[in-house]
Amino acid sequence: MHPSVFSEQTVVDRAISDICILLQCSRHNLNVVSVGKGLVMGWLQFLEAGRKFDCISSPTTAYTIPVHVEEVKDIVSVAKYILIVEKESVFQRLANDKFCNANRCIVITGRGYPDIPTRRFLRLLVEKLCLPVYCLVDCDPYGFDILTTYRFGSMQMAYDAKILRVPEVQWLGVFPSDFEKYDLPQQCLLPLTAEDKRRTETLLLRCYLQKEVPEWRLELELMLQKGVKFEIEAFSVHTLSFLSDQYIPSKIQEVEVLPGNKIKS
Amino acid sequence: MKFFTDREICYADILPPSEVRARIEVAVLNFLKILTCADPAISDLLLINRKSSNRRVSQGLLTDDDTWIFLSRSFCKRSLMRANAAKAFIRVWKVMEMCFKILLQEKRVTQRELFYKLLCVSPDCFSSQLQVNRTIQDVVSLLRCSRFSLGIMASSRGIVAGRLLVQEPDKEMVDCSECGSSGYAISGDLNLLDRLVMKTDARYIIIVEKHAIFQRLAEDRVFNHIPIILITARGYPDIATRFLLHRMSRTFPELPIMALVDWNPAGLAILCTFKFGSIGMGLEAYRYACNVKWLGLRGDDLQLIPEESFVSLKPRDLQIAKSLMSSETLQEKHREELALMVQSGKRAEIEALYFHGYDYLGKYIAKKIVQANYI
Repeated sequence: MHPSVFSEQTVVDRAISDICILLQCSRHNLNVVSVGKGLVMGWLQFLEAGRKFDCISSPTTAYTIPVHVEEVKDIVSVAKYILIVEKESVFQRLANDKFCNANRCIVITGRGYPDIPTRRFLRLLVEKLCLPVYCLVDCDPYGFDILTTYRFGSMQMAYDAKILRVPEVQWLGVFPSDFEKYDLPQQCLLPLTAEDKRRTETLLLRCYLQKEVPEWRLELELMLQKGVKFEIEAFSVHTLSFLSDQYIPSKIQEVEVLPGNKIKS
Repeated sequence: MKFFTDREICYADILPPSEVRARIEVAVLNFLKILTCADPAISDLLLINRKSSNRRVSQGLLTDDDTWIFLSRSFCKRSLMRANAAKAFIRVWKVMEMCFKILLQEKRVTQRELFYKLLCVSPDCFSSQLQVNRTIQDVVSLLRCSRFSLGIMASSRGIVAGRLLVQEPDKEMVDCSECGSSGYAISGDLNLLDRLVMKTDARYIIIVEKHAIFQRLAEDRVFNHIPIILITARGYPDIATRFLLHRMSRTFPELPIMALVDWNPAGLAILCTFKFGSIGMGLEAYRYACNVKWLGLRGDDLQLIPEESFVSLKPRDLQIAKSLMSSETLQEKHREELALMVQSGKRAEIEALYFHGYDYLGKYIAKKIVQANYI
């Protein structure tokens, strides 16, 4: 309709953000929605627009996170914690290993950078259930960026951070120090590319790394200093179910047993 | 026209783990036999060639609708004797060994996990994910068994919505029209998909290229106005989505399958992949070819789209167009549409139809179906 003003998608996206800031509202208040790609499984039950999501009946089945989070109600859960995983492949691995059968929890993934519905859904769960939230990402700049998106919000949607961020998110792993701790062979370490290094340096400049989570900063600096990164899948080197059977349970126990051990939160 | 073209076909079987292990054992025993016989030799591995030169077409006898592509009996070798290619030979054995172990444990593994395991066990042989993926296809070619049978699990990007009831064995029935705008996620587990019980009262199946369009249609509950099932692979179709679509076409043979894609060569390429199969996984994909018709966007819809919504074709688009044009499977009418695209030098997305209002898409689809305006 107005091709001279709107030449491409990014122009429209920026305009929407400007309107949200001006009117001090969120995108979904303007009825602008994004495509939903988050998945959830575990000990959870809720209703959305009349439809029942009974994840408890089949805790190892993945359900898509509803796009219209404002219509989610009657949330019931017997979980002890919420686990966020960065990648769909890790989510699948947990599903295949029937992680939720042995562990009473809710597992969520945004399949990469989390979209708005996933972040809002997470925020809703935290508000209603008051459960601890642990985040599992790759030990690389992208993983770290995704972790901070869940915790602090994204840079592009900074105006909406108040309702989208989840300050309860704790960094469960994977840390650079886990490499030796869990005995991973040298070949699993991949070198940081030039792009990775640039990205890490940009991440280090973010303000919340100084004030709110200085310990996260230390880990990031360690990554940069060593010049290496590694992915969660590296744990499959030991056994395919190492992640489900050993890594995650032992990490969670560490956090729980030493409640004062808020160093990573 | 050739009869019995499918005698030339080479295909990968779908087998239970015990049979795959047996095939691996046979491969090892044969190799050892030749190595330890009176006139010893290191045998070469003969793999089905996965290039377009080995691509054949099975043309439907009565109509064009039953056409699919498959790989034939052209072989390439992996040999230890050729200095540059010796590593490729070793890689095949390493992957077979790893798959054997995983099948013994009765587990499944993703390609990425397999990469890490191979990287640690044989660091001199494997350096990249791409190498691992290619070697997996080599093993599929050698043992003639599907990737899934080897224990390798690929996740699916597909979703379904609309007038379909699915039930996994021993689970509750899921109504795909009540799944909200996010739909029912298609599992990557082909065994599970094979056991799904499906029921429908739909009259048409519509493949949607893009997730956003799928979501729009699902949200507007278009299937309450027109009796359809919506399915998308959110881009280039993965095996699981193709598998399920094929099962649907077999279970409900009276339902025509139509595709709603963007007006550009990539959209047509996606339609053709659903319709004919692909070379990349040519030993398996041929099974899942379906008779897919082109609903839209097409040449006669261009008048509905405002001038400003058209964008120029990029070099990549022209490359895809060229490759499609040279394929003998492309139907005459599709060929004409492609020629029109290239000639006009323009492309347009389905979203351009929103110019007429956000509910226009549902009306557009309904009108086209009622007029049987699909090719």
